[in-house]
Amino acid sequence: MSELGRLALLLGFACSIFAVGSIAWGLRTGYSGPLRSGRRAVWTVCALALLAVILLERALLARDMSYRYVAEHTSKDLPLHYAFSALWAGQEGSLLLWLLILSAYGSAFLFAYRKRLDPFYDAVAMVIATVMIFFTGLLTFVSSPFRILATPPPDGMGLNPLLQDPGMMIHPPILYTGYVGFIVPFGFAMAVLLLNRSGTRWIEEVRRWTLFCWGFLGVGILLGARWAYVELGWGGYWGWDPVENASLMPWLVGTGFLHSVMIEQRRGMLKTWNIALIALTFELSIFGTFLTRSGVLTSVHSFAESNIGPWFLSFILISGTAATALILYRKALLESENRMDAMISREGSFLFNNVLFVALTFATFLGTTFPVVSEAVTGTKISVSAPFFNRVNVPIALALLLLTGAGPVLSWKRATASVLKRNFVLPTFMGILATGIAIPFGAEGVYPLVCIFGAAFVVTTIVMEFARGIQARKSAETSALPAQVVHLVKKNKRRYGGYIVHVGIVLLFVGVLGSSVFQKEAHAPLKTGEALHIGPYTLTLRGVTERQKENAILTTAILGVERGGKFVGTEHASKALYSKSQQPMTEVALHWTPAEDLYMILGGVNEDGSASIQAYINPLVSLVWGGGIVMVLGTLIALSDRMRIRREEQVG
Amino acid sequence: MPRRFASLLTIVFFLGAAPSSEAKPRDPAHAITSQLICPCSCGEVLSGCTCETGKTMQGYVENAIKQGKGKDQIVGALVARYGEVIRGAPKPEGFNLLVWVLPFAATLAGFAIAFLVLRRMVRRRALVSSSQGALAADRGGFPAGRTLESDLEELRARAEAELRRMRE
Repeated sequence: MSELGRLALLLGFACSIFAVGSIAWGLRTGYSGPLRSGRRAVWTVCALALLAVILLERALLARDMSYRYVAEHTSKDLPLHYAFSALWAGQEGSLLLWLLILSAYGSAFLFAYRKRLDPFYDAVAMVIATVMIFFTGLLTFVSSPFRILATPPPDGMGLNPLLQDPGMMIHPPILYTGYVGFIVPFGFAMAVLLLNRSGTRWIEEVRRWTLFCWGFLGVGILLGARWAYVELGWGGYWGWDPVENASLMPWLVGTGFLHSVMIEQRRGMLKTWNIALIALTFELSIFGTFLTRSGVLTSVHSFAESNIGPWFLSFILISGTAATALILYRKALLESENRMDAMISREGSFLFNNVLFVALTFATFLGTTFPVVSEAVTGTKISVSAPFFNRVNVPIALALLLLTGAGPVLSWKRATASVLKRNFVLPTFMGILATGIAIPFGAEGVYPLVCIFGAAFVVTTIVMEFARGIQARKSAETSALPAQVVHLVKKNKRRYGGYIVHVGIVLLFVGVLGSSVFQKEAHAPLKTGEALHIGPYTLTLRGVTERQKENAILTTAILGVERGGKFVGTEHASKALYSKSQQPMTEVALHWTPAEDLYMILGGVNEDGSASIQAYINPLVSLVWGGGIVMVLGTLIALSDRMRIRREEQVG
Repeated sequence: MPRRFASLLTIVFFLGAAPSSEAKPRDPAHAITSQLICPCSCGEVLSGCTCETGKTMQGYVENAIKQGKGKDQIVGALVARYGEVIRGAPKPEGFNLLVWVLPFAATLAGFAIAFLVLRRMVRRRALVSSSQGALAADRGGFPAGRTLESDLEELRARAEAELRRMRE
């Protein structure tokens, strides 16, 4: 079966090359035959990638230890569902998943535009197929998941205990769906440049594809944060880890693009900038895979030893250079159709918002890669971690929050003094009021106060926008307020979907503020019957148990939880010792309320029989997850707007 | 007005970046451990680290505070033992100063460029409008701010849409 897997990948490589060559020939000659063949080759790569995935999954589920990948990432006592998710636990499997999603995007793209006769869409498929050449080549010649061991071991090394969590079963595929999806906007952008196409119709298609993968990437990031929260046991959800940063960077640039694309659609401006943002988003998504898979972050020496690091770096350099060269070559095509009317306008605010998104990305990129650069230059290993990012990224993010409020209430073209007064006085007043109210509750320091001001400012501007919309439709509406809001959103899903995403962002900011600045922590060794006090809570150790759970020994501290002297529940904080790795893992106990989480960890059992208990109160953390859900809702609403347009087009 | 806005943002940045803006630490030990990295391979920030090495280090910091040692003394001793890698953020000196300066410098440069680009575009717009206004007045009828190119683009898009409909 391993031969079949290798053959599938080799054929995939050949088909990818054929797809690119055939489409290029068709585009050059104008013949439709080569274009059709190229399209079929893209479909074939998808089928071959699926076959390779099925074959590897079959080996993983059967624990066929003759496969090196299976022996390295599973063991016989590994539960079946984790054997399934081991596909994305290692480098080769992750790359195969990348290829499957990439080829699925290529096929979905061709399916979506199957009725369009314009060869422009073939050119987009050609760009996607070019990236397929890289991934099939990598999986065929450099990092094959179908390598066979001469002497299969009796059992495998097991799956990394950190990955043995239900969240890890869905987080990577969702994240990859977001990451890889940026190939489609990139394909559109490159096709426009290659074919020297003018017009702005393609930009609406790009916006929709970008919104789709941006939404997936956002959900993937949030799921990763949730996984870190319940699995890593340090009381937080975002540690500015390089892997987290790698996923955040394309999301940030993608967010910038989703704003600036509106200027191109409305005013035909910022074309070069938008194409550059699309290219950057794609390059960053490749860079993210490079960061996490090349070993470059551990040390410059690991990078040199990595078998895929240099390939990825070369691909990034070549594709980045090609994209830049094309942008410069087609400079005339990207000339703005209009000029800016005034500095103080929505266009102006979006431009500054873009500067901040790119600056935030740059700060994240610099902090993530700087340890390697510093080690190479000075010879000394350093760390650039949360203490750095909290100091540098937070002020930039807060400035973005303020612009989130300002942008939507500035008019297009020119915001007059009366518009500014009408739109800014109330939000500013509400911001100051909220800040004033928060201070007696313990809010202090510039960051928290700016955050509270910004949150109130943004929410007020959004409420004002909704109120204005309802007011404008009042003559047509006689129904109740909630129904009017629904009608308003339905009338312009894209606009109000965007506002709902902004509400989600505000909730996220407030959640992060509450759970970081107002977090409380306590720890103590407890013997049975002893109690630990934290805020209004009292945790009493009822006992410690030990039992075998699948492939791990689970030591559990049973804690009785009281709030203000009233019993509220029994919680179980555990430590799991996995048989293969002998690595202890934390199983957090969470006592959830809408206002705060009581987060309990068993540090371990001491020699005197006491249990080390660490507890945190994380206020408002539910707003982080709630904000994420609201953002997803807003994204879906904004996406559905285009679906309506398509239906109308079909009817027409 | 835009200058004031840019100045306001700059002030927010630098106030935000100032050390005094940090939230009040929960306890002296947390103030130190939240700035350090666990020296084992886990790479976690020490204050939240749950591994054995992390717990030992947290205990070390707490004991050192009880013995009356100051923050600099404790961090200095740990850096001497484990190297600079134990700091969660590099000291802003020498080559490592770059990582602190560049993000803010790039942000300010970005704002400056965006401001200059906007100003240039606004000025060009004003020039184009006035010259087209004059032309419109001379020849009669061609509205200011509307170019031949934009008309052509509109017509081209309409023709393409009609062709597509005919093909389908």
